[in-house]
Amino acid sequence: MPRSILERYGGFPFLSRVVMAFYDRVLDSDALAPYFEDVDMRRLIDHQTKFIAFLMGGPASYTNDHLRHVHDRLGIDEASFEVMISTMTETLEEFDMEAADISAVLAELRSRAPWIITAPGAEPAHAGA
Amino acid sequence: MDLDRFNRLLLESAGVGLALADAGSLAVRFTNPRFLEWFPGAQDAPLDELLAGIDVDRMRTRLDGGQAYRTDLELKVNRRSLTVAVDVTRHADEGADLLVVECQNITKLKELEYMVESYSKMVERQNRDLRKEKERVEKLLLNIMPRSIYEEWKEFGVTAPQRFDQAAVLMLDFVNSTEMDIAADPPALVAELNDIFTSFDRIVEQFGGDRLKTIGDAYMAVCGVPDPGGDDARNIARIAVRLIRYLQRRNASQANQWIARIGINVGPVVGSIIGVQKYVYDIFGPGVGLASRLEALSGPMEITLAEDLYDQIRDDVVVTERGEVELKGFGRKRVYTLDGMTDLDEGWLR
Repeated sequence: MPRSILERYGGFPFLSRVVMAFYDRVLDSDALAPYFEDVDMRRLIDHQTKFIAFLMGGPASYTNDHLRHVHDRLGIDEASFEVMISTMTETLEEFDMEAADISAVLAELRSRAPWIITAPGAEPAHAGA
Repeated sequence: MDLDRFNRLLLESAGVGLALADAGSLAVRFTNPRFLEWFPGAQDAPLDELLAGIDVDRMRTRLDGGQAYRTDLELKVNRRSLTVAVDVTRHADEGADLLVVECQNITKLKELEYMVESYSKMVERQNRDLRKEKERVEKLLLNIMPRSIYEEWKEFGVTAPQRFDQAAVLMLDFVNSTEMDIAADPPALVAELNDIFTSFDRIVEQFGGDRLKTIGDAYMAVCGVPDPGGDDARNIARIAVRLIRYLQRRNASQANQWIARIGINVGPVVGSIIGVQKYVYDIFGPGVGLASRLEALSGPMEITLAEDLYDQIRDDVVVTERGEVELKGFGRKRVYTLDGMTDLDEGWLR
């Protein structure tokens, strides 16, 4: 079995630095931080750890239902999702990940957009497909 | 730079939040900028109002006992959640009775702690899933090989073929299944066969045997492979009797009549895992060949054995002798039909 992105970059020590950097960037971002103002820090970190581990092929699995469930009340719109994508890109670049690996992580993330973007009226036509 | 100015600079720029409060009234006498950033409030507000969330009674008890009071407080500063460790100590000298409040930002530690917690839960869960998966695979493998062979295979990655001089072998097939109308209801037929083979497995297990395989409607079981048991010859005969008895009972209440014939034998076989990609534990050799020939000699619902097995269990069986028969590959042998076993409950077939 080929080794996952997470394994190749060193597992948890790498993941923890990425999550921490991403978390900081998100909460420093005027576009993104408001979404998480009322979210418990512990829950937010728990979710980010699992989700980023999952994006890198780590030991977590996320069903679309689960993703939809955790983002349901946040009402994230498409523009914010794009900001989140570029925040993630900057974070991964900061950690010297190879372009191919960054693309793989982002592609996985993008493929889950329909279950993350939960703003009313923003639901893409292919949601649930 | 004089020392006072240096001290003031240090207090103002430190990453640690500092405050001094009166030990009696809890009135705050001094705060540095960091403290006010985390706990904004009136300069003369009492300490317990600034530090919302501290347990004043507990703090007093500890301080009165000469101990420090420590607690973590969760705050929100500019949208960010912070965790601040608060440390209060009491210093009474030169007429002043003061509390020194020291606050450190331990948010990163907390974040890391939560992250480790979250990650270890993921890993635990993954381990649980893997263990379950492993058990499932093990169960599947135990369907195609005996446990001792599986253990050997697991440990060494290979198994050596073994010779068994006195393997007790049972071969069974159904004489009428080809006549059954399978076109009528194939799922029902398969369900019935499943049902029958499952019951067979239970009987075989009850007498310490192993079902080796089924081929279509044929069923093969062994005793003493791979672990010779001492009473394998008798056990294979007991199994044979019980299989027929089970079918008799079943046929009495069911529409489809399952008519079996059985050959049992003891003899030399080789047991081994056969195959590389698709492997199965199997046995072959004269012991198997003879059991198969004897099965072919059986009439409907009959059990046939030859002198090799009969000589070993003659004291415990009742047979009908059928004389010498030429068996291809084995020469002439005396063969018998097994009528019952004297040491077995419900051990009579007729």
